[in-house]
Amino acid sequence: MQTAASNSAALAASRQAASARAAAAAWPYGRTLYLVLNIAILVFLLAPIAIVAVFALNPTPFIQFPPVGVSLRWFEKFFASRDFMHALGFSLEVAVLTTVSATMLGACAALALARGNLPGTRLIVATMLSPLMLPAILTGLALFQTYVLLDVGRPTWGLVGGHTLVTLPYVVRTTLAVLHNFDTRLEEAARNLGASPLRTFFEVTLPLIKPGVIAGAIFAFIVSFDQFPVSLFLVSPGNETLPVTLFNYLKFDLDGTIGAASVVSIVLAFVVVIGLDRTVGLRSYVKL
Amino acid sequence: MSSASTTRPNGVALFILPSALLFALFFFLPIGLMALMSALTGNPVVMPKVAFTTRHYARIVNDPYYLEVIWTTIRIGLVTTLVALAIGYPLAHWMARIKSRTGHALLLMAVLAPMLTGIVVRTFAWMTLLSDKGVINQTLMSLGLIAQPLKLMYTETGIVIGLVHIYVPFMVLTLTGVIGRIDERLEQAAENLGASPLRAFLEVTLPLSLPGILAGSLLVFALAISAYVTPILLGGFQIMTLPILIYQQISANFNVGFAAALGIVLLVISLMLVIAYNRALGLVSGQRELQ
Repeated sequence: MQTAASNSAALAASRQAASARAAAAAWPYGRTLYLVLNIAILVFLLAPIAIVAVFALNPTPFIQFPPVGVSLRWFEKFFASRDFMHALGFSLEVAVLTTVSATMLGACAALALARGNLPGTRLIVATMLSPLMLPAILTGLALFQTYVLLDVGRPTWGLVGGHTLVTLPYVVRTTLAVLHNFDTRLEEAARNLGASPLRTFFEVTLPLIKPGVIAGAIFAFIVSFDQFPVSLFLVSPGNETLPVTLFNYLKFDLDGTIGAASVVSIVLAFVVVIGLDRTVGLRSYVKL
Repeated sequence: MSSASTTRPNGVALFILPSALLFALFFFLPIGLMALMSALTGNPVVMPKVAFTTRHYARIVNDPYYLEVIWTTIRIGLVTTLVALAIGYPLAHWMARIKSRTGHALLLMAVLAPMLTGIVVRTFAWMTLLSDKGVINQTLMSLGLIAQPLKLMYTETGIVIGLVHIYVPFMVLTLTGVIGRIDERLEQAAENLGASPLRAFLEVTLPLSLPGILAGSLLVFALAISAYVTPILLGGFQIMTLPILIYQQISANFNVGFAAALGIVLLVISLMLVIAYNRALGLVSGQRELQ
């Protein structure tokens, strides 16, 4: 209420300059309000993640708050469940295959875009980044229809192909970012000193673009591991990825197993991100 | 097309081919087949005689139910975008202006942490918060503030809360980039000339960040209208959106042609948003060149 009041006061201020200047100057709590508001937003962002851990440890088989105790039974149930373990294994398999293919294709494409003198580079980049914004559920639907029409069933390569498509933009973007800040004279120097194009690539270009490629690979892994809409259409019953299994479980059950599974996938993501931060630094790669 | 470029493609250009092949096989071919299926009377593999038809599109346009579903989807997208902007902007501003490197890194981690937590997991988190026996209702009831649990789940409000949480990081990251590029001295100049910090913000920073607001809003809107997990779980299968309808047509009715037509509708909306987003970001980089 107070925020709204101060905002509308400020809006009036922008129109009626003199009187409002005094009103705004008479409001000494602006800085405090700014911090309180931002901390509230941070709580909104982070509290739900913390709450998942609370429910993973709470022993009651239904949602209960406040929690009545601490138990590891849901973690035991998760790790003992063949369905969940199979899904976790399959998700990791798909994520690894996707990371390898998306990283190789994406790094090559970024290199071609930055160095190949291709006509219409801007259009190609926009097209390659478009799976980020186009509904992934459409990618899933369109691939599903294609596999049905071609009568190929629901093979793992079909799922990996779909995941590669939606993770490729991350690799292209992080690699292009490095290539754009790259001093091409280093390559020229190597060539002038007699290195072959191939040797220049492996000894100069590749080491320099490595951080971008690694950052892209880590994004690709996380995005694939958490990917849902494409998987929804392309997994076969009995061979589902972890998010699909969790989703199907959530439709009927709300016990702590989901919490435990969530904690496991959050921890996995954090390990990967901290690894990313330690090896290459996050700051320069997360700009949208 | 090639007449515009001054130099010819060299050997490195060939490295684009594997990705081009991937896009051809896993993107353009499927989308093309989807467009084709949306205009056919049946599945050409199973049925020997199929003809072109506009009946799937006619069904969408003529049945108020489907128009209502499209409108619900757009309405949820719009509200989500506005709320995400309202809570994303202050955080983005803080991130762009904070002096300490550690502070910036911590804020970035706080924004990225939800992004790196899967959509299904975050939706589960909101189910535990919003349900009748969830954290919010239990806390309010034990404090004696309410007698009956508030109806937060299975409502559009619940869906919007979940979607805002999932997509606000995209808004924050887009806005941080744009606000960070606005010269802080412009604000200081306004303040030196007697404007209050708030007025300096409203008359200097806010107008200059409009392209970022536009780009972030288009991105969040595009993501929100294509969401599936959050509307279905927080809406409890009671609120129908376009992605839910599309999946239902496949899984329950196996009406591939109609699902494809709905898909094309969603695709056209999204494509327009993508083009507008690129224009908005073009405005940002245009400004940058002028400075």
